[in-house]
Amino acid sequence: MTVSSRPPLVLILKDSLIAGAISLVIFGPICGIILDGYTFNTDFKIPLILTSIVTAGRFFFSFFGLPKLPDLSRIHPLANRKPTVPDKIFLGIVFAVFLIFPFVGSKYWLTVMILALIYVLLGLGLNIVVGLAGLLDLGFVAFYAVGAYGYALGYQYLGLGFWGSLPFSALIAATFGAILGFPVLRMHGDYLAIVTLGFGEIIRIVLNNWLEFTGGPNGVGAPLPTLFGLEFSRRAKQGGTPFHEYFNIGYSSTYKYIFIYLALLFFVVVIITAVSRLKKMPLGRAWEALREDEVACRSLGLNHVATKLSAFSMGAMIGGIGGVFFAAYQGFVNPSSFTFFESALILAVVVLGGLGSTVGVVTAAVILTILPEALRDFAGFRVLIFGILMVLMMIWRPKGLIKVKRPVFLQKGKG
Amino acid sequence: MEKYILGQQLVNGIVLGCTYGLIAVGYTMVYGIIGMINFAHGEVYMIAAYLAAIIIAVLTFFGINSAFLSLILTLAGTIVITSVYGWTIEKVAYKPLRNSPRLAPLISAIGISLVLQNYVQINQGAGNQGIPAVVSGAIKIGGGSNFFQITYMQAIIILAAVASMAILSIIINKTSLGRACRATQQDPKMAAILGIDTDRIISTVFIIGASMAGVAGVLVTMNYGSFDFFVGFITGIKAFTAAVLGGIGSLAGAMLGGLLLGLSESLFSGYVNTDYKDVFAFSLLVLILIFRPSGLLGRPEVEKV
Amino acid sequence: MPERRFIRFAVLIAIFAVVIFTKDQAYAGDGEIRLGIAGPHTGAYAAFGKQLWRGSKQAAEDINKVGGINGKKIVLIKADDACEPKQAVSVANRLVDRDEVAAVVGHFCSSSTMPASEIYDDAGILMITPASTNPMVTDRNMPTIMRNCGRDDQQGVVAAEFVIKRLKAKNVVVLHDKDTYGRGLADAMKEQMNKLGTIEVLYEGLTRGEKDFNALVTKIKAKKADAVYFGGLHTEAGPLVRQMREQGLTAKFISGDGIVSNDFIRAAGGNKFVKGAYMTFGADPRKLDAGKAVVEEFRKSGYEPEGYTLYAYATVQIITEAMKATDSIDGEVLANWLKANTVKTVMGEKSWDKKGDLKVSDYVIYVWTGDGKYEEYK
Repeated sequence: MTVSSRPPLVLILKDSLIAGAISLVIFGPICGIILDGYTFNTDFKIPLILTSIVTAGRFFFSFFGLPKLPDLSRIHPLANRKPTVPDKIFLGIVFAVFLIFPFVGSKYWLTVMILALIYVLLGLGLNIVVGLAGLLDLGFVAFYAVGAYGYALGYQYLGLGFWGSLPFSALIAATFGAILGFPVLRMHGDYLAIVTLGFGEIIRIVLNNWLEFTGGPNGVGAPLPTLFGLEFSRRAKQGGTPFHEYFNIGYSSTYKYIFIYLALLFFVVVIITAVSRLKKMPLGRAWEALREDEVACRSLGLNHVATKLSAFSMGAMIGGIGGVFFAAYQGFVNPSSFTFFESALILAVVVLGGLGSTVGVVTAAVILTILPEALRDFAGFRVLIFGILMVLMMIWRPKGLIKVKRPVFLQKGKG
Repeated sequence: MEKYILGQQLVNGIVLGCTYGLIAVGYTMVYGIIGMINFAHGEVYMIAAYLAAIIIAVLTFFGINSAFLSLILTLAGTIVITSVYGWTIEKVAYKPLRNSPRLAPLISAIGISLVLQNYVQINQGAGNQGIPAVVSGAIKIGGGSNFFQITYMQAIIILAAVASMAILSIIINKTSLGRACRATQQDPKMAAILGIDTDRIISTVFIIGASMAGVAGVLVTMNYGSFDFFVGFITGIKAFTAAVLGGIGSLAGAMLGGLLLGLSESLFSGYVNTDYKDVFAFSLLVLILIFRPSGLLGRPEVEKV
Repeated sequence: MPERRFIRFAVLIAIFAVVIFTKDQAYAGDGEIRLGIAGPHTGAYAAFGKQLWRGSKQAAEDINKVGGINGKKIVLIKADDACEPKQAVSVANRLVDRDEVAAVVGHFCSSSTMPASEIYDDAGILMITPASTNPMVTDRNMPTIMRNCGRDDQQGVVAAEFVIKRLKAKNVVVLHDKDTYGRGLADAMKEQMNKLGTIEVLYEGLTRGEKDFNALVTKIKAKKADAVYFGGLHTEAGPLVRQMREQGLTAKFISGDGIVSNDFIRAAGGNKFVKGAYMTFGADPRKLDAGKAVVEEFRKSGYEPEGYTLYAYATVQIITEAMKATDSIDGEVLANWLKANTVKTVMGEKSWDKKGDLKVSDYVIYVWTGDGKYEEYK
């Protein structure tokens, strides 16, 4: 910031003092007067420190200007243009890192990456509904829950193992997606949002109350995944042979996670490919057209019912698959894992990634999963910092990390 | 006996409904003018609850025990402080995103929601907080063991809801500030060209919305006596439902939606089953929205092509 | 563009570095025994997490002062699950892999203990919960999972006997908060009460986190109830009992160990609302001779060891004794020793059955006196 464009010092000082006064009002009561039973204790150190930081910070930034942050999409491959050879090599290396990671990384970070990949799946699913079709869904967690419970209950009542449950739960989740789609056909914007939110809550409440069928708040145990009948547990619980006994190697709980990770990675790649193809096909185009201008679509003969229902169903199906992996990973499902906060988190992944951008969703999912884990060392401040970062990320990149450019036809000779 | 039980359930429902309505009105105002779902609204309500407890504790410390005085001073103090909170939240989290795609402020609001919850939790502790009963006594109708009642605190809540709606309606419809708000809502660019300071109008709307949440926080906390840092979230969702039910953007709709929601919850809980009352409430919402996609009193969005 | 390639490869190197350098780090602490203290250290139930932590910390200090475990010092590791199963799983993995704990004191909420115990069982690590009362914790045949508290099916039985035989109630309402602990407790009480010949006039669940139960209270009034049994925690019990009294309902209120905390008074809006509320709880450890000295120590430092504080203290003692006697940290070895022996703790002598439950459960009825305390109801 050049000296000449900076406002006069007096104004900056006044600004900072006002900011300080406001901070006192904000921090004073809540931070300074701590409730203790029906009485209180005072501790004015904290509000005073915070006020000073705000005043000084305001002065500093008014004086020197806000820092400029780099534009991520310049270095990201696949952003807005066809991949070139160096891009492909880069992507290949990234994929290789992902592939060998489970064998060299620590088990703790392996579990974190499994969660990250699950959120990638969820983000991809919601991306279809919100990003591509433009339908604001605040209850996506419902399909996630249906997938997870489908796996757990499928084992309990129908004896379905991991590979049998995947198509089963995916289909059930897709059906739920269609069920949600029907009533909301006529709704738009924020009305749609609240209804989907309600749907998410209804699923969670039913799962929590229906003790006889779903185990209620106690949840249901989920079996471990199997590879051709070989289980990954210490003792065989599903009647087969444990994996480690078959290959005569010592038992390590890491094998289970490696297997889940690799299966998950496989599915993520498959779905990413499928979605990119769909985007270029008429169905994908129909979704994006619906998002941009529904009235125009309908006037041009597009069947908006089929388009909306297919968006909900596909998104729900992918969410359901994510749920199956989550259940297999945690070994246990319980309604408290499927609250509105999860829906909000998945939505944050999609928005942060840039609506409609697959690459963005992957990046955002990884970041938003690793962040709370990396912040674990900050204990009590973890969620606070996470929330602050969410706000900052939105202010920094409101259109998402990766700006999605749509193919544009420019007339030759002009533009 | 049944008549009195029904009477009591109706009272329960109306009071609960007024609670939702008070908060829903704040949501609806902000949405009506700016078109933004302010998810952090519920957290302002939660902060008001803590402020109420703090102010009452301080007043008791200084020996002020009169119910009337406590109520007035707590309301005044809380309204001032929550207004400041509302203004700051708008300035910090929403203003930079005013020209961004619609979803960005939504995520920012969710982030602020988390920040406020944890900010309070870190400073005040994660446990349940409570205040002693300040206003006691009730108006009983009927006698002996067959009666229904409405406590003074509950009556105050109903009065406050009606009063706030009346005051807000007067402000929006009869004052120049209200005219400026309506102009900004209809066409912000045009309003700016015509000389309205839209920035200031938007800030003012947020401040008013926050003070409504503040009033709700004080009264509801004094009524139930118990709260924690998470009450904002649950109440926020219910209030948002009420606002949508009544038609977002309509003040009367917010109150109506709130009453409908409160009554349906209480009556379903009282006569059918408490376990599924939320399922019933949401199903009711879906049903109403299917037949009236813009809510009960909402203006149908006219899409120009 | 060269700069782009440079930034990209810098990012790659960073990722590699993170991957390689966060490999499981073996702690150099061979001269110490690490215990994980798992529970809700943050979140709405943090008050209980604090009880667990203070109790364990005091026990570790006292034991370390007299030489630790066979010369090794006890080091405590705080593991926060915020009473959420997902976090419980995550933190259990961390304790097992990164922190390499020798045993775990925890968790608190039954819904967290269940998934976490699978991980400890899988890794062969001893886990003793000082507070999870859901029967399923030890009903699943896991050799290293044990308890240092009662079970809900014992607690519910005691409550049912009390309500029917001593309070002689005829119209009983059974409520729960739809969560693992609350519902389990209410169901156990209901089952026993039905066996004694009384059917409840109402059985319903309220939602945790809500504050308005007026409609439910009115419904209870309509049923002319003379006793209300609530399985749940003080956060809901407080407003419930307050609204009951405000609406003029004089029915007796009985609950479980979820309201054993002064927070109950606060949640209910004052002593006048909690007066006369009954609850089941283990014999108050603060009254036992074995623990008087320790209780004094706590009080001297300004902390009243209410609730689960002494349960956690005793659990650390139990783990210590087992490790001293077997000179091992193998979960099964420790568990087998405990199931065959008696340990003297601040809560008296403890011994276990094959499932890992305490042999003697000593649930007793307490009543809130209305002046801020609770005492045994004889």
